Amino acid sequence: MAVSRREFLRGSAAAVALSALGVPALGADAGGPEKWVKGVCRYCGTGCGVLVGVKGGKAVAVKGDPNNHNEGKLCQKGALLVPAVIYAKDRITDPMIRKGGKKSQLEKVSWDEALDFATKRFKAVIAESGPQAVAYYGSGQALTEESYLANKIWKAGLRSNNVDGNPRLCMASAVAGYLTSFGKDEPMGTYNDIDSASCFFIIGSNTSEAHPILFDRIARRKESAPDVKIIVVDPRRTNTARIADMHVPFKPGTDLALLNGMAHVIFRDELDNPSFMGRYTIVKKGAGEEATLEEYKRFVSEYTPEKVREITGVPAEDVVKMARMFAESPATISLWCMGINQRSKGVWANNLIHNLHLITGQIGRPGATPLSLTGQPNACGGVRDTGSLAHLLPAGRMVENEKHRNEMEDFWKVPRGTIQPKMGFHTVALFENMAAGKVQAVFIHCTNPAQTLPHLNKYTPALEKAFVAQTECFMDAETLKYADVVFPAAFWCETEGVYGCTERRYALTEQAIPPLGNSRPVIQVLLDFARGVGVDPALIPYKNAADIWEEWRTLSKQGPYNFYGITRERLKKESGIKWPCPDETHPGTNLRYVRGDDPLVPKDHPNRIFFYGSPTGKATIWLRPHQPPFEPADADYPFVLTTGRVIDQWHTATMTGKVPELHRAYPAAFVEINPEDAKKLNIKNGDQVILETRRDKMAFPARITDTCMPGLVFCPFFDKNKLVNRLFHDAVDAASKEPEYKICATKVYKQA
Amino acid sequence: MAAKKKLLLFLALALALVGGFFLYISLAFPGSRCEAAKHPEAPEKYSDCLECHLKVTPMAAQDWRESKHGVLLVKCAVCHGLPDGKGTVPFAAKPGVREICARCHEPAMKQMVEKYGARLECESCHPHHQNPMHRKAFEAKKPSKTSF
Repeated sequence: MAVSRREFLRGSAAAVALSALGVPALGADAGGPEKWVKGVCRYCGTGCGVLVGVKGGKAVAVKGDPNNHNEGKLCQKGALLVPAVIYAKDRITDPMIRKGGKKSQLEKVSWDEALDFATKRFKAVIAESGPQAVAYYGSGQALTEESYLANKIWKAGLRSNNVDGNPRLCMASAVAGYLTSFGKDEPMGTYNDIDSASCFFIIGSNTSEAHPILFDRIARRKESAPDVKIIVVDPRRTNTARIADMHVPFKPGTDLALLNGMAHVIFRDELDNPSFMGRYTIVKKGAGEEATLEEYKRFVSEYTPEKVREITGVPAEDVVKMARMFAESPATISLWCMGINQRSKGVWANNLIHNLHLITGQIGRPGATPLSLTGQPNACGGVRDTGSLAHLLPAGRMVENEKHRNEMEDFWKVPRGTIQPKMGFHTVALFENMAAGKVQAVFIHCTNPAQTLPHLNKYTPALEKAFVAQTECFMDAETLKYADVVFPAAFWCETEGVYGCTERRYALTEQAIPPLGNSRPVIQVLLDFARGVGVDPALIPYKNAADIWEEWRTLSKQGPYNFYGITRERLKKESGIKWPCPDETHPGTNLRYVRGDDPLVPKDHPNRIFFYGSPTGKATIWLRPHQPPFEPADADYPFVLTTGRVIDQWHTATMTGKVPELHRAYPAAFVEINPEDAKKLNIKNGDQVILETRRDKMAFPARITDTCMPGLVFCPFFDKNKLVNRLFHDAVDAASKEPEYKICATKVYKQA
Repeated sequence: MAAKKKLLLFLALALALVGGFFLYISLAFPGSRCEAAKHPEAPEKYSDCLECHLKVTPMAAQDWRESKHGVLLVKCAVCHGLPDGKGTVPFAAKPGVREICARCHEPAMKQMVEKYGARLECESCHPHHQNPMHRKAFEAKKPSKTSF
């Protein structure tokens, strides 16, 4: 035992005495940092502002930025980010290559040798099989400048649209949802709406564990105004439901029926807003055919509370109660995340949430907004906005739109026709084509696909087959097993760049400390790589991240993503600015599309709201029928398996796993089973339980808890020793191509 | 003499009662007595402080669970560190205000100093654990008796 009871008591007494004197007793920041450098937290999509304490050239402490939206608060992950993660023993500080193929060991080499090794191979592949045989697989954790640069290198430099990334796995459905309902991506609301909302409709989001600081803000709102209603719709009774007035568990995969059922009650009880619908909405069905409001009303009238109860298992009176709370509240905010997005009908589910806001007019006022939460710190700003996905070009432009391609070609000063007219491979197709040998070389940046792709057994052979160049900070990333070249990346505050979080807020992480060892900022790696592969140097004339930001800011000026006013200087002074922000004096926008608030709506516009992203200027109400999930539970595989986060670990735990306080809270994966099911299956707490799906089977220790409803089991995905994604199928949403991680069928039994 | 004998008898009886009480406690709750004596050595057993502390310090555990920190899942180790001292937060029953509390609450602390002047500690007005979600932050109260 490291500390005896006596020592513990003695230590405590000393600590009490010292703290009573106001003397910092212990701690990394004893004596205090010499300076505090502003940044954004490295973890989730909340995008909290942080201050990194630096002493003697080392990061020694971290605290919340009082001027950012989090007002100085941090969750445990953010508060423990420094120094354990930065100075982790397994930080990669030298470039490495595998000289003798995938089975040989990674060997440390010089930067020149590593870059040469990678570029020679990429050049050979392009010469032999054309630019469609190389790909970039990026990340919602990469800096905006990195994603913008990689996108330009690939689409305009190498002439390959094979640019995709892990945001495809987490928020592609939210993007398509906003695009189809409002004409342009990104939410119209901000976190400020949380402080004004009187009803929270939280569906498919465990805000408490995935976005703790937002949950804190919701809880504070509830605390300050106890009449505020919180509805949590989730088959799991998560910690988020602890502050809820109503927790509504439903049969997994039946959310479309539930949302249409709420719409039915809203019309039936005359809680709709005809004036809002008449002025601001149109109705569509199918692939975009026009429909009428009467048609829509007839369509939802089939979803009676009784029918919804049959499909979803939610009592009819609860469907009515929820719908009334939603419609009657002075201001309702919807919050959702992966529970809605990671579904084979994820885009439709997004549309149906937007529908509820459009038929009630719960939009465009403080507190009334559909706000999709994002999982990663820079999926919104870095990947969605810069168009770093296979079908996109920067600022909401589409690859398959000739006008959009020409606009980008003119701006980038490349001949018209340079950008390929066909979209590249989305993530699942990309790895399928890698396995088939069509994509032969991939540059992976800041993500760990060997742990996070669905149906891993199908896709890891792709990584074995293709040539993999990878940037990585930590030696325990699963994907390193397949890397041919590893570029050691400068981590987080060792370089500078912009993150854009859920609420359209762009904020700068400034460089606080030099890159560790021989690691380098990825901007520099990408530039050297591009020049090595033969990209015209005139296309990438940048010295640093600030140069790239300047170009991106200028480009944004042309359209509805206008953030020309967010200069590097402003980013250094201010703790994040929300776009649209067309000029340097503009304070940023809270209510997008709203006259008087959004600078892109003309001051003399006849209507208060103008959905200028859509060609009609109106938002769309969609007729979207209920559809079951791809693989519902059946007689052979009678349970539903779902996955998600736990509060103390983040993604594949390559960062949180370095912090003992976090890692020991959840050292390994487990399976949550409802007590009723456990009793039937004779499973006790801690028993090894086998989950067997049509893909694979694995054993997990059981946690008997009523968090999961009967018939549902849950496994977190952070544990690299239990790659739960081997169990999941790879069916994707037809529109967004986002996989359905949230639902698959499984057998559950005790290990013999 | 009789008085002395009586006193001895009384002392023996008292000793037997006290001894019997401790014997009963250790026999009746063998697990919790054992866990109370020391923190588990195996790191994998650290995972949930609450599991043991519900038995050994039920009041503190329940206070936490009902407090804002409990609702927000700010767990024990985030402020108190790990018993073997191998974490990044120093292990302490009373975490230092400046180096632990300030990481999240510095703006509020500054406000308080501006209003009331510098104080030596925060806890007498803001008991860390007894700060339930739906009550005013400054309201110190006795822990409730409800179970969970």
